[in-house]
Formats: sequence, structure tokens, C-alpha cells
Amino acid sequence: MKIVIGQGSCGIAAGAEKVRKALLNTNLNAGDISITGCIGMCYLEPIVDIYDDENNLTRLVKVSENDAEAIANFVSSGDRSSVERLIVTDEDNEFLSKQTRIALRNCGIINPDEIGAYINADGYTALKKALGMSPENVIEIIKTSGLAGRGGAGFPTWFKWNAARQSEGEEKYLICNADEGDPGAFMDRAVIESDPHNLIEGMLIGAYAIGAKHAVVYVRAEYPLAIKRLKKAIAQATEAGIIGSNIFGTDFSCDFMIKAGAGAFVCGEETALIESLEGHRGMPRLKPPFPAQSGFWRKPSNINNVETFANVAWIINNGGEAFAAMGTEGSKGTKVFAVTGKVRRSGLVEIPMGKTLRDVIFDIGGGMKTDKPFKAVQMGGPSGGCIPADLIDTVIDYKALGATGAIMGSGGMVVMDESTCMVGMAKFFLDFTAKESCGKCIHCRIGTKRMLEMLERITKGEGKEGDIELLEELCYSVKDGALCGLGQTAPNPVLTTIKYFRDEYEAHINDKKCPAGECSDLIEYKIIADKCRGCTLCARNCPVNAISGSVKNPHAIDTSKCIKCGKCYSVCKFGAVVKE
Amino acid sequence: MIHLTINGKQITAPEGATILEAAKQNDIYIPTLCYDEAVEVYGACGLCVVEAEGIPKLLRSCSAKVSEGMVINTESERVVRSRKVAMELLMSAHDGDCVAPCQLNCPAHTDCQGYVGLIANGEYESALKLIKNKIPLPASIGRVCPHPCEKACRRKNVEEPINIAQLKAFAADMDLKANSYLPDIMVRTGKKVAIIGGGPAGLTAAYYLNIMGHSVTVYDMMDKMGGMLRYGIPQYRLPKEVLDQEIALIEKSGVKLVNNVKLGKDFTINSLKENNDAVIVAVGAWQSSSMRTPGEELAGVYGGIDFLRAVINGNAPAIGDKVVICGGGNTAMDACRTAVRLGAKEVYVVYRRTRNEMPADKLEIDEAEEEGVIYKFLTNPISFNGENGKVTSITLQVMELGEPDASGRRSPVPVEGKTEEIAVDSVILAIGQKLVQGDVSELTLNNRGNIEADPDFFTTNIDGVFAIGDATNRGASIAIEAIGEADRCAKAVDAYLNGQSLDTRVPYISKRDEKAIDYSDRELKIRLTPKVLPPEVRNKNFDEVSLGFTEEEAKAEASRCLECGCREYYKCKLLGVAQLYDIDPERFRGEMPQKYTRDENAFIERNTAKCILCGLCVRSCREVMDVHSIGLMGRGFKTDVSPAFSLPLDQTNCTNCGLCVSLCPTGALTEKSTLQKQVPLNEEYTEEFVEIDGKRVSVLVSRYNGKVLRVIPNDELSRSMQLSREELIEKLT
Repeated sequence: MKIVIGQGSCGIAAGAEKVRKALLNTNLNAGDISITGCIGMCYLEPIVDIYDDENNLTRLVKVSENDAEAIANFVSSGDRSSVERLIVTDEDNEFLSKQTRIALRNCGIINPDEIGAYINADGYTALKKALGMSPENVIEIIKTSGLAGRGGAGFPTWFKWNAARQSEGEEKYLICNADEGDPGAFMDRAVIESDPHNLIEGMLIGAYAIGAKHAVVYVRAEYPLAIKRLKKAIAQATEAGIIGSNIFGTDFSCDFMIKAGAGAFVCGEETALIESLEGHRGMPRLKPPFPAQSGFWRKPSNINNVETFANVAWIINNGGEAFAAMGTEGSKGTKVFAVTGKVRRSGLVEIPMGKTLRDVIFDIGGGMKTDKPFKAVQMGGPSGGCIPADLIDTVIDYKALGATGAIMGSGGMVVMDESTCMVGMAKFFLDFTAKESCGKCIHCRIGTKRMLEMLERITKGEGKEGDIELLEELCYSVKDGALCGLGQTAPNPVLTTIKYFRDEYEAHINDKKCPAGECSDLIEYKIIADKCRGCTLCARNCPVNAISGSVKNPHAIDTSKCIKCGKCYSVCKFGAVVKE
Repeated sequence: MIHLTINGKQITAPEGATILEAAKQNDIYIPTLCYDEAVEVYGACGLCVVEAEGIPKLLRSCSAKVSEGMVINTESERVVRSRKVAMELLMSAHDGDCVAPCQLNCPAHTDCQGYVGLIANGEYESALKLIKNKIPLPASIGRVCPHPCEKACRRKNVEEPINIAQLKAFAADMDLKANSYLPDIMVRTGKKVAIIGGGPAGLTAAYYLNIMGHSVTVYDMMDKMGGMLRYGIPQYRLPKEVLDQEIALIEKSGVKLVNNVKLGKDFTINSLKENNDAVIVAVGAWQSSSMRTPGEELAGVYGGIDFLRAVINGNAPAIGDKVVICGGGNTAMDACRTAVRLGAKEVYVVYRRTRNEMPADKLEIDEAEEEGVIYKFLTNPISFNGENGKVTSITLQVMELGEPDASGRRSPVPVEGKTEEIAVDSVILAIGQKLVQGDVSELTLNNRGNIEADPDFFTTNIDGVFAIGDATNRGASIAIEAIGEADRCAKAVDAYLNGQSLDTRVPYISKRDEKAIDYSDRELKIRLTPKVLPPEVRNKNFDEVSLGFTEEEAKAEASRCLECGCREYYKCKLLGVAQLYDIDPERFRGEMPQKYTRDENAFIERNTAKCILCGLCVRSCREVMDVHSIGLMGRGFKTDVSPAFSLPLDQTNCTNCGLCVSLCPTGALTEKSTLQKQVPLNEEYTEEFVEIDGKRVSVLVSRYNGKVLRVIPNDELSRSMQLSREELIEKLT
């Protein structure tokens, strides 16, 4: 008998800790209650998994602390009726069953706080295996696998490893980039919180391959739970002799260090990350020299992100060919996506490369949450671009996604329906990058700000003819001139929305209209007298008393007072309030 | 050695060299703003980008290393576009005035802030020299100029503009009193230039061309030189003795002056062209404009400039007791005040708009009124009535102000049926003046009847013949306009004489948004004007009305200057690069990243609103000096250079080594000069050596007209000695 509560950050935010405490207050055996990380079905949290003595799983979802007694009753009696309403549906189960999990293979299943749980799941066998090979052999396997950097750029992992290996110098560093900064991406957090040893194992294999004696995890301070679990895992692994000197009795030694970053998006850029690691202001360095030649403390360094390392142990155990068997010509293995926005089922989706966006959003994600049709998906966060509905069958592949103007990126997928203004969306992401620019180079520091100002003007109805062309010109200049990836990719959301939704820009500029009805400066709320029943609900809810009218008589909005909060629109039961 | 090609030129460079270093060694210019050999490469400005064949990305040449067979283009279309946008972005966030608005608004671009500042410091000789770089007749112009400079002066937003024109007259008078300045003349070129017309335009062009080494002769139809300054401006405003002195200096500097010769009679443009290498036509506009009002032909109706000229020549007409002057400009003021002085009892000025719309100088309007002139606003003559061919009365249409016209002024419209009649003895029409077209029959005229000359190159339809001043393009204007054209024309002619062609347009400069300037911290200081003769004394004679500034007054008035223009203008690297590309930062106009603030200690002045975040100060402070007293703060657009813990610079460990100041490519960091009032000056920096504590150290010394203004330590030793500037300056002087 085992009762396992999903305690990733998402689960805890949804109330998993309250559920755990409530369960401990029942007559259940405290020893049977344990935790796991995030299974990826974030929309169903808190999740409680109950394994009977034959290890049969009953998964309860959207559990609250009030359900504790019912759960205790079910566990002791085996009577499902009290928890029937909580049991995950077959449909929701498809969210998981349609996935192929490598990086996330242990997430939401094993207890992240126990090294034993990881070892039981074949943990650290790959490391042992790798240490029996030559580093060159390890790199060869990674080369065969076709694993590419999952952080955004998609650079072949073996190539970076090999470059660092070939670099001269005794002192080398293996660095994990856990500064997951894209708003909307959270797979790295999930891996560290749910399966920290998998990361440690992947990093140790990497360190061995490049010849590093020091491993560093640069993780954002906004991930306190991840830091806590990783620290614990490092301590456990150190105690077990997996981290430290002469690992598994070999000549290979490696220590681990965690550096909590202060939360600057640009520190996800590898050279800015190194600056930050060294205690400097997080600003990118000029490349060349590349980190493989001169990185942390000017020593040869290799940087990969969490998801990349999370694949390594599996590849060593199952062979490069097995990994390469999945995917397309140019993109091998699986990729994790963080699916959010207007999609019915949001969470983490790991699927083989080569599937389509439709597979992720509709087949696994279940389509739109509302009755509004699918409009576009923003891929790759602020550095990525949007892909419109008519390209929904685009194959998930670095090249194919790149051809749309978007990027694979770290796997953020923000799904939008027809109620999203695409100019507003571009503005949102640009506001993010403009604020997160480190301020070093002209194109990024001033260029993104000027683009943002133009978008602000356009969404306020102050756009003028020529703005689109000026925006495009500026976008291409910034892409060309910015010093690092942040600036070079910041124009992508603007360029792709112009490319696919130019008519929306034109409507804002020429007609001073927002077709999606989202830009408050360009819309007006009105009450259609014929539909208004005079229920007074809107008038009572209006925060500025802009609505007048008597009971059972049609109401009217004083547009000079209206602050366009949309409250009347959302409360009206008769569809009498319209946006124009 | 590595072999590579830059801009088609085959060069070699040592292995490990950057493209920038390789280019530099081969005299190929690549612009940079954040690069300096003293510190590590940084890559912020992105101006040093170049295109390399086979490499899709633009390379930052400061860091990209040369490789064998590389083919580099440092000026490709893509490179230039990238640099242009970078500069446009940079300048859109650079909140600074390169030069002060007074200078910009002066048609001759006279360095008003410069000479005003020098006067404030008591440096009158330097002030005069600075003025004479642009105006060879400053005592005269200082007296008569309607001073567009003062209209632009920002002090008006505090209380009133600086009295710039009178300060100019002050400095010039000081010079005329003793040891008058004569310019250095360059080596004689042997080229000959003839100038037709000895007015402000002709004399100015002559003065500067002579300085450039050309042999210049000015031909003029009148008895004496000076043109409208002499024959159009009354004695009480510009004593002819002052003008005579200034013209004498021009002659003394080497210009040949020939009077009483007339174009069309004694010579033609073409005949002059045959005997000279270039000709400048600066004949002016000597014919009074007509109002096309019935009765203008009557006796007793005079043209404004004709009347003034007659008085100046000692042939004042008998104008009687009742005189009406038509017009609202400065010529109308000159005419009415002259009429008063001639003894007229009732002098009216008829103007169809109101006092507010009068184009004449406000001081003139007020002083005329003090002298007894009566204004008849909102009236317009519709006929001059006479008996026996002599004017006896004038019929005026009463007007009212209607809708604003294209210029924004409300245009006068007649009030139906409402007229007025005034009995008069004479009428003076001061409504404008025009070119006597017959004089310039060899030249192409425009549809306004003026000589058609290129506004920037001053060329006409005849090769080697240039035209400037009242006779050209838009017609008669103020003297300083003609002087500005003449100065630029002199440069264009000099280029022509060297077989080149020169565009005299002012290149891009940075300007602050006037609306965004905060004056609230300025102390109110009332504008000083020179004392004048009392109205009851001056209206009876032609003595000069203004008594001029005393030295004390001049210094006090000059000290009011807000110092708008940037002190680093003359050595601003940023501006130099900005002017390389045809930039239009207005396209990207938006918020400014930093507020305009000043932090200063005894030596260094910081203004982060001008900072371009090249990081040279921060990096040199850290990497070279290991002092770390300034650093970068904030993120993105709001990134700022700030002293440690945001303290005033004085409270940090700053050692005043001055390295940051000398590396700053713009005016964000400046070193104070020894002048009490700070002035932007074209200083000359030279390396000098001084002995301190028995050690010889290198310093950069800036001098202006021989005076030591700034000293900046220039080697490791001098930077580390924590010397006070006083100490250094003492050693140097």
C-alpha cells in the first residue's frame, strides 16, 4: 500500500501540501504516505496516486484536503464509490499515454528526495557504464544519438562536448544551465524537482566525457524547491560516493556546486551565465572565444541545459541508436513541451520529434478550452515566434519550426484562441525582452525599447502609416546587430505576427480597431437595447458607475466614464453587452 | 602572417590579430565607440561590424580574429545600414545639445554661447576672436541685428533671454577701442576673387576669402562701403564711425575696396569673370517695394529705404509736420524714428495687424513709442489722396483679425465699410525692398524676381559666379542672414578655387527636446540692457541711443547663460561617427532613458543623460585603475552608469585620475576647465611633461588662446599620484 502525493511546485501551488497534511490526520499509516514530483498533468493538480499491494494504480485528481477522509476510507475499504468523482478519466489519461517519456521518465513517479528510488529505477547504471568506456566513446554515443541542445539553439551536444574535450587545460568545467527564463516553460524545473538524480547522472557523464572535475548548476533563485531537492540529491550522491573523488572506484573525480542566479533572463545566455557565475553583472561576453575555449574563470567549459542532461543517462543505457530511432532526419529523440494558454489540458508533454503541432495541441492537449477557435501558438517564448492556425500541421523539427519564423526554443508553447490580439501578444513578449535586456549593446537596449514604444502606440490607436515597415526594418537591424541571442531573437514575435497577421496590424493602424477586441484603447462597450432585460446586474457591477438605467428598462453605458474593464461584458447573462 | 583582403586591398596581419587591428595598421577606418586599447574588448556599440565572405553573421571586428584568405568588406551596404540604425537608435536616446539653440538659430551660426561665456570670464579678446570667426562686422551687427539667437535662447523659459546682441557689441567695442584684432592670413594662393557689392554679404565673403589666402577686390556703386548697414540704418542706431572702423579693419586685413563703380555701367559680371578666378554677386536689394495703392506716385510719398538713404546722405526731404509710415518692420521703425528726429510733430505708423504681430524688434517698437510715435494698428491704406500732385491725406481701411493663416498668424480682414482719413504732409512706405533687376541681366532670376542661386552651394547659371544676400532666392532679409550666406559662400568659393565642390549644409547634430527641459532649479536673474539716452534728449538728434554695456554689466549679463551647448562638442567621438552616416534619429523618437542631471566634484562633471553606455569609464576604472568607483546599474533601457552605492562621485573612492573622462567618447563625463564659467571651446590638447616629486610625468594639456584650461593625467604614474588640478596647473603656468 502506497499513497503518493504529487509535490512539484505546481502541485503544491494547487494545494498538495494541504492534502498531504490532511491525509496524515486520517487513520492512514503515515509510513504509507510519500511524495513524488510533477507528472506533468498540471491542470489536474493536486494529484494523489494510490498503489495497492499488487502495485495497481488508482489516480485521483483535483484532490482537496476535504477529500482526505474519503481517500482514507477508500484505502482501507477498497470501496471506490467515495472517490469515484476524483478518479482520473480515460480521456485525461490519454494525456500521458500518448506521450513518450525519456527526459521525464521518472517525473511524478519516483520520490525525488530519495536516492534509493532513483537507483531502483536503474539510476546511476549509465554512469557506471560510461565510466567503463573511454570519454571519446561516450561522446561517440551521444553523437550517434543525435542529441541536440534542448535549451533553445539546438546545437549538437556531442560537438560542444568534443570541443571542450579537445580544449587544452587541466581545469575544465561542466555547467548546467538551469536558468529557465522563458515565461511559459517549466520542464527544467519539473526535472530538477521531480528527478534531480537524473540531472546529476547526466552531468557526471558529461563531466567525464569532457574531462571536467567540477560541475556547476546555475539555477534561478525563483526555483527554491528545485534548489532544495537538488541540494539534497547532491548530498545523498556525495554520501553514496557518486559525487566526489574516485567515483565508482575509477580515476574520475568530480565535485558539484550550485549557484542560484538572481533572476535575469539574459543569464540563460551562456556567456552572461558565466559572467554571473563569476560574480559579475550578468552581461554576455563577445564570442569568440567560445566557452569551450575560455569559459568559467577563463577555463574550457561546457554548458548544456537541464533537459539535455536529462536525456544522457537514458542514451548511455539504451544506446545512441535507440534515441536516434525517434524523430526526423535532423531532429532526433524526444522533446518536452510546456503547453499553456487557451488549451484544454495544460502541462508537460514529451513526444518524439516528428509529431505535429496538431498532435500536441489537439490530440494530447485536447484542443481549445473555450468555444473560440484556435488562432496561433507562440513557440519558444519571447525568443520564438507565433505559428498561425493554418500551419498547425507543421512537424516538430528544428528546421521545420525555424522555417515558420518560430523556433523550437526550450519548448514553451502558448496556445491562443481568437480572443487574443496578435499585436498585443507581440507587445507582451517585447515588453519582457526589453525589460530583460542587459543594456549592453545598442540594438537590444534601445532597439527593443523603440519597438515596444511603436507597438504601444499601435495598440493605443496612435499608429501611423509606415509603422509596420519601420518596425520590420528595426526588427531586422536588431537581429543583425544585437550582441547575444536575447537581442538577436527578441524581434521574432514581432516579425512572425507581422508575417501572419499583418491585417491585424493594419486594422489597428488604419481603422483604429482591434479585431480581437483586446486593446482597451480601441474598443467600446455598448448595450444593445433590444437584448437588455433591465436586470441591473451590469450597473451594479460597474466599478465607475458608468451604466445607467432603471429596472426592466434597457441600460446604457456612458462611454466618457467607462474604463473598459469589461466587467459588464462578462456579467451580462443576455449577451446584451457588446464590444466594438 | 595571415593574408586577407579588406575592401579589395590585400593585406597581411599577424596571427591572432583582430580584424580591427589589421584594418587600423593598414589605414582602413572602422568606426568604434566602445573600443579602446587600454581595456578588454567589449562589443557593446556594434559599430565596428564588418561583413566577411562566407560568414552569414556580421562580425564585430574588435573581437573577430583574422584568418587566412578572409575577404572582408568594412563598408558594404549591410554594414552601413547596420551602423546607421545603430547610430539612429543611439542618438534617439542621447539627451544632449551638441550646440546651443542660440547658435543654431543664428543664420550665421555664430558661437553665441562661446563668446557670451568668454565675456562672463572676462576673456574679451578671445570672445572677439570667436565672433570674428563668423562675423567680420560685430560692432555694427551687435547694434542692428534683430538677434534670432535671443529668440532661441532658453533663458527665456526662466525669465528673459540673454542680451546676446549687446554683448557682441560690447566685445567688439572693446576691440575697436585698442589693439584691434587682425586675423592671420594664410599663404597667398594667387587666386583672384571679385565681389560685387560692399554690403554685409560682400564684405563678409571678402574678409574670409582673404583670410584663406585669395586676393579679393570688392566693387561698390556708392561712395563708401557698408551697403544697407550704411545707407539703410539710421545713425542713432549704428553710428557710421563704428562701421567705418570695422570696414577699415577689413581693408587693413588685405581686402581691396573700390567704390563708385557700378555693375552694368563700369563693368559686367562676365567682364569681371574674365579677370578673376571667381565672382560673387552681392548687390543687395535697393529698390523700395510698392504697395500698389492708388496715389503712390504723388509727391510726398517716399520709399522707406530711399528716405533713409536721403537722410543719411544729408539730403533729408522736407517731410512736414504730419508723417505717416506704412509698415511694421524694422525699416518702418527706422523711418518713423528718423522722421521724429527730423522734427515732424505727428508721426503715425500704420499697420494692418496689431502690436503683437509686428515683425519689428520689440525694443524698437517701444523706443519709438517713447519718442512720440503714434501707432495705428488694424488699419491699411487704401488710397493716398493729393492736391496738385502732392499728397495731402491718406484713407485707411479699418481691419480686424480673422482666421490664422498658413504661418499661424491671424490674418487681417477689412471691416466692411469702415474707413478713416488722416491729413498728412508726407507718407513713407516701409513695406519691403527688392532687387534692381536690370543690374544683373546676365544671371537667371527666379519667379520672385531674385537671382537664382543654389542655397547650399551658392552657384548661379554662370560657372564661377556665385550669388548671395538680399539679391538672391527669397529676397531681402536681415544682415546676419547675408553674413551667414557669405561665410558659407566663401568656403564654397575656396573649394571651387581648389577644383572642388562644397556642400555647406550643417551636418547632423543632436538637439534636446525643448519641451522636456526643466528649469525649476534656476535662480531668477533679471536681463540687463544697456542704458539709453532719455527719449526727450534722443528724439531731437541722431546721437546713438544705446550707451552700450559697461564691463560690469556685460559680465553679469553674460553670466546668466544657461550653458546649453555641450562642452565636448569639439572632440565628441559620438558626433563624429553620427555625422558619417545620413542618420535620422527622429524615426525612433521616444522616451529618454535618463533624466538630465549633473553630478560633479571639483574636477569631473557627470551627466548620464548623454551617456551611451559604452562602458569605457566603468571598465577603465576597474581594469586599468583597479578603483571600481563607478559601475553599471539597472537593466535594459534604464541601465545607467552610477558611482558605487549611488553615492555622489565625491563620496566614492574616485581618485580623480581623469582616465574615464579622457576615454568618454561623448559629453557624459567632462573635466571642468579653469574658467569660472564653463564654455565649450575648440581647445587644443597636447602632451606635456611636468616634474612632480622628482618624477617626470606625462599630462594632456588643453590650451585656448594660450590659456591653460584643463590638465588630464596621461600615464600610469600621473594617474596614480592623486594630484590636485591646482597643483598641476600651477606647474604648467
